[in-house]
Amino acid sequence: MSKGLKADLSKCTGCQMCTLVCSGSHTGKFNPSESRIGVEDVFPEPGEFKLAFCIHCDEHPCVEACPVEAIKLNESLDIYTVDKETCTGCGACVDACPYNGCWLDPSGSYSIKCDLCNGTPQCVEVCPKGVLKR
Amino acid sequence: MIMMGDGYTGKVLRVDLTKEHITTEPLNREWAKQFVGGKGLGARYLFEELKPGTDPLSPDNILSIWTGPAVGTFVPLTSRYAVVTKSPLTGTFLDSYAGGFFGPEVKYAGFDGVIIKGRAKKPSYLWLNDGKAEIRDAKNVWGKDTYATEEIIRKEVGHRYARVACIGPAGEKLGLISSVTSDLTRNAGRGGTGAVFGSKNLKAVAAKGTLGVEVPDMDSFLTWTKEMVQKDVVENPDHAGMITDGTPILVDLSNDAGILPTENWRTGVFEGSKGINSDAIKSRVLARKKACFDCAIACGSWSKVSKGAFKGAATEGPEYETLGLCGSNCGIKNVEAIIRFVEDCDRFGLDSISTGNAVALAMELYEKKVLTKKEVNGLDLRFGNETAYAKMPGIIARREGIGDALADGTKRAAKRIGKGAEKSIVEVKGMEYPAYDPRGSIGMALAYATSDRGACHMRAWPVAAEAYGSMDPWSPEGKAAICVEDQTRTSIKWSFIFCDFYSVNFANMAKYYTAVTGVQSSEAHMRSIGRRIWNLTRAFNVREGFARKDDTLPYRMEKNPLPDGKPKGHAVPRADFEKMLSEYYKLWGWDDQGRPTRKALEDADLRDIVGRLDYLS
Repeated sequence: MSKGLKADLSKCTGCQMCTLVCSGSHTGKFNPSESRIGVEDVFPEPGEFKLAFCIHCDEHPCVEACPVEAIKLNESLDIYTVDKETCTGCGACVDACPYNGCWLDPSGSYSIKCDLCNGTPQCVEVCPKGVLKR
Repeated sequence: MIMMGDGYTGKVLRVDLTKEHITTEPLNREWAKQFVGGKGLGARYLFEELKPGTDPLSPDNILSIWTGPAVGTFVPLTSRYAVVTKSPLTGTFLDSYAGGFFGPEVKYAGFDGVIIKGRAKKPSYLWLNDGKAEIRDAKNVWGKDTYATEEIIRKEVGHRYARVACIGPAGEKLGLISSVTSDLTRNAGRGGTGAVFGSKNLKAVAAKGTLGVEVPDMDSFLTWTKEMVQKDVVENPDHAGMITDGTPILVDLSNDAGILPTENWRTGVFEGSKGINSDAIKSRVLARKKACFDCAIACGSWSKVSKGAFKGAATEGPEYETLGLCGSNCGIKNVEAIIRFVEDCDRFGLDSISTGNAVALAMELYEKKVLTKKEVNGLDLRFGNETAYAKMPGIIARREGIGDALADGTKRAAKRIGKGAEKSIVEVKGMEYPAYDPRGSIGMALAYATSDRGACHMRAWPVAAEAYGSMDPWSPEGKAAICVEDQTRTSIKWSFIFCDFYSVNFANMAKYYTAVTGVQSSEAHMRSIGRRIWNLTRAFNVREGFARKDDTLPYRMEKNPLPDGKPKGHAVPRADFEKMLSEYYKLWGWDDQGRPTRKALEDADLRDIVGRLDYLS
């Protein structure tokens, strides 16, 4: 049973309020390219939205793939998060993840992925259509 | 002084397409304080830099794209960008807006505004990326429709989610009712923005950025704006219909009030309204709700036609204006046909309001035998003939046959056709009426006449109080005051840039302004900026030669009473119209010819433009 966010994509309107609040609260800037959740709009065909985020799977291949042990266990939440200082931005975790759950920051210097905002995910709080659940 | 975290990027991009020269300069901070962004800043730069009398389709015209300080932040419903230029359709100041995703991307790419002059030697597009800009060869997209253009440019610049504002074939052929289209279905639609792009050999502006937007205090900003999203957007009773239905909810309201334009403004009651209203969309074509960036309302509907002659057509909407002008006004009783028509308007880059009016004009003239079948491209162009109707966007965009006249709007088309056709057109300053008939809501006649860009419903909207509300819809009393109040509010609202569908008041705009820029504000401060902007755009138009003589009432509105429904027997009496107009000028402190007086300009803190207006010297 993964510990990450769950999404009901049928309700998603593609408004990206999740990416705004995520980037704002994590980086101090509104900048969807630094968000830990990604929204794709695929129109006109098939006419749907896709969300990308770390589902905090049990197998965590990212942890196994990281050559510098930058993806560390957060014991209170029981999830793995990226330690920005240790991460070298090599991208091994990005290649290893089968869920498109992590990617490099626009600077290319470290990997970013969902950290569940210390237990109160901001995207869940602001999603106006109830797409996201913890 | 470098200012950090005030919503602005602080940079304006300047592009000279003739010289193939690009520079970046600091935003004029004094003007930013006085005019905020979007409409206001765009108007101030245009007033300063455009020589009066400039041909809108000449290289000397200035084409600018503006964001606002709130664009790209969590301030709700601020996804919009403004295209600001001199209109080739009306000859006035022009500001056209679109939501979607392009506006925020321009900010993230590092620019508050982009000012484009000149004419490229060959078809080109502009690529904005993280503080840099490049003029690129458009040979692979020239001639292509807007959908294909977006897809190809994304591949060329190597960003799957680059956002693209582009023109279709209509803009390339300098059609004066052509639009700028972004995110497939969003249009800076009115006034011929597409033709200005086309005249500059500019196919598109594409943007992608990772620079972000900063505000003074992120923590308190987020805490407060999250609360506002809930209380003032999601739970705001003004938004209930927009959340459940979106703009199509107005079809029934207008039809009941007898103001739904039908068969080229012959009547305001449409017998086929049940096939084009919100229920028809929800039960027949709605695939899913779709929002613009940063919007909790999500009024948009992605609609697909799954059977019949128009199977495969899809669009976002159709919106009320399209349902009215391209639906009832053309006698079209099925939303599926409208979806085919408006998808083509988007693909070809046509303004659906003006295009619907133009097709309806051709239909009326064909039925009256002013135009022969041969003259309308061999089509049986009766009202309601879906097969013929669906061919018209392509015909207009490519200027084929009758399309050559219609492509420049109804005023020019009627002049070319002659034979009394000018009695069948419904426009102000060359811009076609939106879908609210003033014969059943008289204040709209004043709103259309006094809008700064020609007949427009997004500067003042007295219909809310009249036909949709409790005010007498045939009395001229109090209508000038509504227009003045609405124009003041929308002027500041289009400067943040807020969406029309956020019912945000002056007091909350002041709070947003402070939260984004760090500068103290108040309701009075917001009002003063709104008044300043409206005086400025009026002064721009007066400098171009516009005055009371141009704030007109269309022949049909004055001379042809509505035959059905609640407004049966009503036209717009000339005396009432003139009375509203005089009262309106007085409320603004303008002279009886509608020209801002020295005092009005000084009161609006526009002393620095007084010397630039010949009529005041």
